[in-house]
Amino acid sequence: MRRLARLAPLAPLARIVPLLLFVAAWHLVGVAGLVDPAFLPPPGRVAVALVDLLRGGQIGDNIAVTLLRAFTGLALGATAGVWIGVMMARSEVFDAYAAPLVGATYSLPKSALVPLFILWFGIGSTTAICATFLACLLPVVVNTHHGVATTPKVLVWSAQAMGFSDREMLGRVFLMHALPDIMTGLRIALGFSFVLAISSEMIAANSGIGKLIFMYGENGTYDYMFAAITSVVAVAFSADRALLAVTHRILRWHDSAVPAADAA
Amino acid sequence: MRPAGTVSDAKIEIRGLSKSYSTGHGSLLAIDTVDLTLAEGEFVSIVGPSGCGKSTLLYVVGGFLSADGDVLVDGTPIRGPGTDRGIVFQDYALFPWLTVRRNILFGLERRDVPQAERDAVADRLIGVIGLKGFEHRYPRELSGGMRQRVAIARTMACDPAVLLLDEPFGALDAQTREMMQDELLRIWLDTRKTVLMITHDVSEAVYLSNRICIMSARPGRIVEEFSVDLDRTLPREELVVSEPFNRLRNAVWLSVRRQAVAAAHADPG
Amino acid sequence: MSRHDPLWLRVRSVASVVVVLAAWEAVARAGLVPPLFLPAFSTVVVTLWGVIRDGSLPEDLAISLGRAAGGLTLATLAGVLVGIAMARNRVAHWLLDPFVALGFPSPKIAFLPIFILWFGIGSLSKILLVGFACVFPVAIGTYAAARGINRVLIWSGRSLGASAGVLLGRVVLPACAPRIFAAMRVALPVALITTFTAEMVGGGGGMGATLMYSQRFFESPVVFAYLLVMLAVGLVLDTTMRRLQARSPVLRGDA
Ligand SMILES: Nc1ncnc2c1ncn2[C@@H]1O[C@H](COP(=O)(O)OP(=O)(O)O)[C@@H](O)[C@H]1O
Ligand SMILES: [Mg+2]
Repeated sequence: MRRLARLAPLAPLARIVPLLLFVAAWHLVGVAGLVDPAFLPPPGRVAVALVDLLRGGQIGDNIAVTLLRAFTGLALGATAGVWIGVMMARSEVFDAYAAPLVGATYSLPKSALVPLFILWFGIGSTTAICATFLACLLPVVVNTHHGVATTPKVLVWSAQAMGFSDREMLGRVFLMHALPDIMTGLRIALGFSFVLAISSEMIAANSGIGKLIFMYGENGTYDYMFAAITSVVAVAFSADRALLAVTHRILRWHDSAVPAADAA
Repeated sequence: MRPAGTVSDAKIEIRGLSKSYSTGHGSLLAIDTVDLTLAEGEFVSIVGPSGCGKSTLLYVVGGFLSADGDVLVDGTPIRGPGTDRGIVFQDYALFPWLTVRRNILFGLERRDVPQAERDAVADRLIGVIGLKGFEHRYPRELSGGMRQRVAIARTMACDPAVLLLDEPFGALDAQTREMMQDELLRIWLDTRKTVLMITHDVSEAVYLSNRICIMSARPGRIVEEFSVDLDRTLPREELVVSEPFNRLRNAVWLSVRRQAVAAAHADPG
Repeated sequence: MSRHDPLWLRVRSVASVVVVLAAWEAVARAGLVPPLFLPAFSTVVVTLWGVIRDGSLPEDLAISLGRAAGGLTLATLAGVLVGIAMARNRVAHWLLDPFVALGFPSPKIAFLPIFILWFGIGSLSKILLVGFACVFPVAIGTYAAARGINRVLIWSGRSLGASAGVLLGRVVLPACAPRIFAAMRVALPVALITTFTAEMVGGGGGMGATLMYSQRFFESPVVFAYLLVMLAVGLVLDTTMRRLQARSPVLRGDA
């Protein structure tokens, strides 16, 4: 037991080892001639391509464009989503009107709207942002609705007995109670924002990392294509971890704040 | 102390109060024509079998549920919840996202209280409930007894004229419960608020109240009343072994027992 | 009748859909927007009937649903395997956890060109991409379920002399079934969106490819007809899975 305890600080390293093994295997199949390097560029060449793309600024510029689209859609979707979710939870009448529309849009695969948006707005950021907005909106609506609607009666009554009006309770009680659910919705929305931004760039765009990946694929410069995909994985992973860290901080009061062993 | 019965002005009047819930299969009568008057500064307990409608009665008096009949505070019918009636719920109902200190100060947020005075109130109450050093903990980091004390302090911070307590010590272990009872007694002797407390603990009711009302099994009705006239200046060790205390305790216990047995017969299983 | 009456609320829900459709029809008919941008609802319905009758829509739908179902099946098989292995074996956990952690938040659609490179533009690349996109939620759901199994259940099975295989089939899988099914419900929209997007980007037939093709040739009524069908497919499949879950005691978790 004690030997294990002494190894504990090395735990993050232990998690990287399987990834290194994977890269080594990837390298070896190339060296052994098991696959055609045209189909699977060896990791060394992908790394060189990645450095080249980072130096030349192609990755930085295009990821910046994609992130701007993704985060604009996410911010708009989250804001509107919280508002609609609160309204649905607090007003039966609003809920009756909104529920069928939300239910119908919820199950529509949002990327299918991209061709329609291209028809309406042309190729470019507006199309990507609209698709991202709709995709981010619904998980936030559904989760906010749930969080507000499940606020325990006794909490509402406690605030009422201290003289708070419904309006004053919104930020102090209902939204605070819904916060864990809202963060769950936001995490789903963050994932969607990348998927939709990149999808719409692959379907039709002049810029963005999705376009870049697609272009290298068409040109047959596969080492650059792999490098660009690697950068997308790294950015999406970092954004997700950053959101998790923020969530952890602002939900210190919540039971979920007990550190998760492996938050996947 | 002021013995029960000599106070004249009614603080709370409950007249012909009935409340039914609508459920999946028809309506369910929870309390049936309850009449009860609390004098200013009086401590009244309600004891009855579980499910007889005690919480329901308290929620109606709190103004959270509407019902048939009248509830008057200082002679005026209540219209919803009000800051004149502070309530402590059975399961504490602390705001989990606020620290101990901010929970206690929650009710002062919407009042024009200067910061210095707020700090004074918080410091005083945290001292009273013995949670110095725990001010910045969140409710999930506290034991049941600590949460209970915070809930009481939060209600006291608003300084309501009436305290409504729903089985406030029900979830505590025996030792903590006795300490909390002594604390509540001291607060009551200091402030002389009007208190309506629900409990299923007969000794607790006898130890704390001026008057004890026994509720029947559902639909809840008040079937018997006991006046308590004990010397509150006696320390607990002496009081609870004294002959008058135990005579009254046994009488109340028998009365509750009759209702519980009736409930078990009416509702087998 | 109170405005909060259940029946009255139902009326409002229906009204809200009717109002949206009526507004759509009115705006299009009044010529407020060119028909290229917004064909009238009635035109779309007629077009829908046309593409159903000439067999093009049923064919596209069959292709897309086949790909989505194939990918989801693969993902379920692989995800359950990975999830249970990670929960029951420390080495498997150590080996696989970094990949699951890295793969779960990444937008799998970005891998589409790799799948096209390796498996062509036909159905195979799409089925495999859908499988890749859906395997993560299934693996994570299964892992969480298998970790949560009551140890006493497994011990008592072992003490009765059950072999590892019997234990897996009789104890572990049934206990995980509700969470696995719940994960499949999460994965279903992922399967649909991945299929449609892959078809839109890579062609090769199916709903997405025809949608893209119609947009390029400015056949707006077909675009809207296909969108309506995609919406209906998502709604019907999710409702079906929810019903199944509610009906079956094994999937509900109270068997
Ligand atoms: N919101 C409600 N809807 C329907 N029935 C209720 C509701 N709240 C309480 N009841 C029923 O009313 C009766 C009285 O409940 P309560 O006042 O909580 O009893 P007590 O506090 O004495 O245990 C119980 O039978 C309970 O099941
Ligand atoms: Mg109760």
